Amino acid sequence: MKTILKRLTLLSALLLSITVAFAADAKSAQDGDDPVLRDLRTEMARSKAQLRLENMSTPYFIDYRVMDIDDWEADAALGGVRGETRSRIRFLLVQVRLGDYKQDNSSTRGEGAMEVVPIDSDEHAFRFQVWNATDKAYKQAVEALTDKQARLKQLTIDHPVDDFARAEAVQSLQPVVTLKVEREPWLKMLRDASGLYTQNPKVQFLAAALSFKVVNRYYVNSEGTVVRSGEELYHIGVSGTAQAEDGMRLDRSTAFTATSLRDLPKVEELKDSTTKMLATLEQLREAPLADEDYHGPVLISADSASTIFSSLIGDSLLGIKPELGQNARVRGQFASSYKTRVLPEFLTLVDDPTLTTIQGTALLGHYEVDDEGVKAQTVPLVEKGMLVNYLLGRQPIRDFAFSNGHGRANLPVSWPAPALGNLVVRSSDGVAPEELKKKLIAICNERGLEYGYYVGTMMGPRIPRLLYRVWAKDGHEELVRGGLFGDLDQRSMRSNIIAAGSDQYVDNELMPVPHSVVAPSILFDDLEVKRQTSNKDKLPEYPAPETAKR
Amino acid sequence: MQHSPGFGVICGTSKQDVVLTSMERELQRASVELGKLNPAPYFISYTVYDQQVSFVVGMNGSLVTSTTGRKRMADVIMRVGAPTLDNAHGDARPSAIITETLPFDDDSDAIAHALWRLTYSEYRKASSAFLNVQTKAQVKAKEEDLSADFSKETAQIHADYEEVAPAPEQKEMEVFVRRFSGAFRKYPYIYSSGVMVTGEKTLQRFVSSEGGKIVMPETVVRVVIQAGTRAEDGMELMRVETLQADSMSKFPSAAEIDATLEKMAKDLKALREAPTAEPYDGPALLSGRASGVFFHEVLGHRLEGQRQRGDEEGQTFTKKLNQPVLPEFLSVTDDPTLRSLNGTRLAGWYKYDDEGVPAAKVEVIKNGILRNFLMSRMPIAGFDHSNGHGRSQAGFMPVGRQGNLIVTSTHTAKDSELRLKLLDEVKKQGKPYGLYFEDIQGGFTLTQRSAPQAFQVLPVMVWRVYADGRPDELVRGVDIVGTPLAAMNRILVTGNTSSVFNGVCGAESGGVAVSAAAPAILFSEIEVQKRAHSNDRPPILPPPGYEHQAKIPAQSGGQQ
Repeated sequence: MKTILKRLTLLSALLLSITVAFAADAKSAQDGDDPVLRDLRTEMARSKAQLRLENMSTPYFIDYRVMDIDDWEADAALGGVRGETRSRIRFLLVQVRLGDYKQDNSSTRGEGAMEVVPIDSDEHAFRFQVWNATDKAYKQAVEALTDKQARLKQLTIDHPVDDFARAEAVQSLQPVVTLKVEREPWLKMLRDASGLYTQNPKVQFLAAALSFKVVNRYYVNSEGTVVRSGEELYHIGVSGTAQAEDGMRLDRSTAFTATSLRDLPKVEELKDSTTKMLATLEQLREAPLADEDYHGPVLISADSASTIFSSLIGDSLLGIKPELGQNARVRGQFASSYKTRVLPEFLTLVDDPTLTTIQGTALLGHYEVDDEGVKAQTVPLVEKGMLVNYLLGRQPIRDFAFSNGHGRANLPVSWPAPALGNLVVRSSDGVAPEELKKKLIAICNERGLEYGYYVGTMMGPRIPRLLYRVWAKDGHEELVRGGLFGDLDQRSMRSNIIAAGSDQYVDNELMPVPHSVVAPSILFDDLEVKRQTSNKDKLPEYPAPETAKR
Repeated sequence: MQHSPGFGVICGTSKQDVVLTSMERELQRASVELGKLNPAPYFISYTVYDQQVSFVVGMNGSLVTSTTGRKRMADVIMRVGAPTLDNAHGDARPSAIITETLPFDDDSDAIAHALWRLTYSEYRKASSAFLNVQTKAQVKAKEEDLSADFSKETAQIHADYEEVAPAPEQKEMEVFVRRFSGAFRKYPYIYSSGVMVTGEKTLQRFVSSEGGKIVMPETVVRVVIQAGTRAEDGMELMRVETLQADSMSKFPSAAEIDATLEKMAKDLKALREAPTAEPYDGPALLSGRASGVFFHEVLGHRLEGQRQRGDEEGQTFTKKLNQPVLPEFLSVTDDPTLRSLNGTRLAGWYKYDDEGVPAAKVEVIKNGILRNFLMSRMPIAGFDHSNGHGRSQAGFMPVGRQGNLIVTSTHTAKDSELRLKLLDEVKKQGKPYGLYFEDIQGGFTLTQRSAPQAFQVLPVMVWRVYADGRPDELVRGVDIVGTPLAAMNRILVTGNTSSVFNGVCGAESGGVAVSAAAPAILFSEIEVQKRAHSNDRPPILPPPGYEHQAKIPAQSGGQQ
């Protein structure tokens, strides 16, 4: 019985993969069955042929984007569930472009109209909303084009860049995904994890939250592109707070993000992870304060390095065109860094959304086709330390006329813009992390420092959450609290990293679009670590209530 | 998702109410522990709201969104100092409240722990605000109104666990919005429409350091039906209807709702074709429903107690106590104890206000003379006590608000005669026409000194009633403007039956359910101004289903 079942599953899985593989070539036969795509195409045909005001041109480009979001969110605190929401909604974004690829009505804010559309399959009601939004978007475009032409007469543009990139038509249909979840076991898991506050009377608050989301995206444009993709996004996290005796607030959290329910932790795993987190919270409470001044080598774990690359480098790699009239290549820190060195020579950065896993870990930044209907591409960004490319959607920037498949729309609803997919940082001569620690100690000895720093995890780009002194005399690690980076910035990323590890940490992030940052450990030659001065509160005026469970 | 086990406690008794017990225990502990500090709180209250909320929207016969959720909110209110001067004084009022969600599992340890955290956080906010208030009191000039900050009231105990109507089933709400939003499909000139249903079941628990203890359940289902179109000149035209009841079974019959929808569609069609109104100043008749909204906006908000106090308030009526503010044939009461009026359920009904004070009928204006204000526990000169009108949405500090505002008249004419009386007045003033306001959508009123003490209400169905016997003519695009004292004294006569307007009113203490009931009212003079509007054209292409018609036919729609 069991084997038969297994075979059946295998067979259907096989059938499914065949369908998917052939989907790209068999567009018309496939999407005829999908009411959303059918209705979008009907309205597209009508708008393309007839949408026009007297004395105005017809649009040269129209696209329809539907984001269908089914969402379950729940959270618990101190062992009890405190909120739960289930919602289903479909957003429609309609973009209408007037003029031509060279110069159209587009601005930097996105152009078009947004509506909610029915979640039932009801042709009339659905098309009604599409019709309404298209009309609005067209009228806005007419006004925007006139305004823009008037503004352009006042401006001198040094390097004219097209407003919109041509792209080939793509057909890609992935299966629709649905949210099927049994609530009670997950709620119990939240209760169990957040109930662990009773383990330690010094824990002031412990909360656990989950967000289970499935998103089906539909995209149709007037160039013939038709794309449907489905993604599942599951997140569960626990966070706790305590105060040290001197009043310093201490926060710790642990989180899991996955694209399938199977990959989320089981209840015991989450409890273990929470218990470990609470243990570090207790260690932090008792840890000494970081010294007021430190200048010296700092070893950053792969986990922390992924946070740092994401916040200090990630945004600067996005090829976002500046406001009209500004002559920079892109917005952001790397506007004038093209073909210059931005990282040490041994580091290479690639954004590769086509990757599905790295060393067995599923990557959240994987996709086949981006939200503008352009196929995902592997983009080398930094080669031997030198910036060679930007991540691009269909908005060209100087020297880059075409999209490289990175135009993506934030959840729950937004206009597409360049975004990270899977950003992978690699070192050409990575060494084992233990070697990096030896190197750290060697530098300390050279400079007569008693200890160097090792950063385990970060909270944002400047605050090390788990920060250890690594004592030069015997290599032992001592946790300290209240440290803060003084000068960790893009300049130190360029000139201060002296070695990197052969290890890799995958940081899967849901916001603003699902993406992954993969980085090795890195060693900084010299960074300033200060003591935080701001986050001290009084201790509670009176003790926590007694609990029977302790 | 629709069946929420966390709400089982609503059917329980107080003996089993773990939440209430934890609240009382933590409140006791907080009073003792914080009482040792300087400055110390002299009043603490906990209010916990168990809420199950569902929200469903339909358009053109199809479901657009369906959401359901539950939560338990806790408000901790703390007053530090003394009733004569405390941290809630003047601008510092928000320092007296803190809000957070609590676990809705009935786990006494979790609830106690969460309340403890909230309480000491609130103490920090309240105590530092109090120091500022004290300093300001010393350095600033004496305020005009020297009333205390908090009134003394008798603590009330009332535990009502009686079963209220269950929250509506999600499926039932979905069926409702599909069914009724579909009615607009047959009118191609309606460009936007929707039916929204919100179902809310709440259990409110209140305990105070004065010994007050109140438990009140409530279920409310609200429906908003909306339809809009655009005239050829771009003016947006909108009709909105609302329904409110404690369960969906109490709504009007499907046939009655259908008739309402059809009326909305017909109104819109007529409005699209109606000429725009010109600025006008002359006799006008307001329907009962329009009068209700008018009184709520123009008069009601200015009778709220806290508006008589504070240097920023316009204080239109503060010094008018015991003086005429309306013609002597008019009286106004606010009576939250009334559950219904002439068979219509009143939305502003409650037993206790959000400060735990029993709801009371207040005769605000008697025979045209101003006698009272709508009082929370914030005293004003001459009024030391609350009269049960301290209301708020969860998370806001209560202030004096309206409940059921009821306008009554002793100088009436049969409703059917009012039109003739309007014409008499028109002729007397030598005007070519008078205005009849059939419906008012809402409005706003400015009560702060920094702005003119004016109001603006937004009528939707306005008719010209001609002196020469021509048929009445619908017009569009006007707002009623004016100043309250002047407007109120131009009332000539009223109708003899009352209409009720139920709605949700928003102000500084959040959204609260209110009713306004009034007879139709004839004014000798009302001023209207042209409304600003967009000049976008109507849609270029016909809507789906009407593709073969070159242009949207203005005459189509209605029964098909």
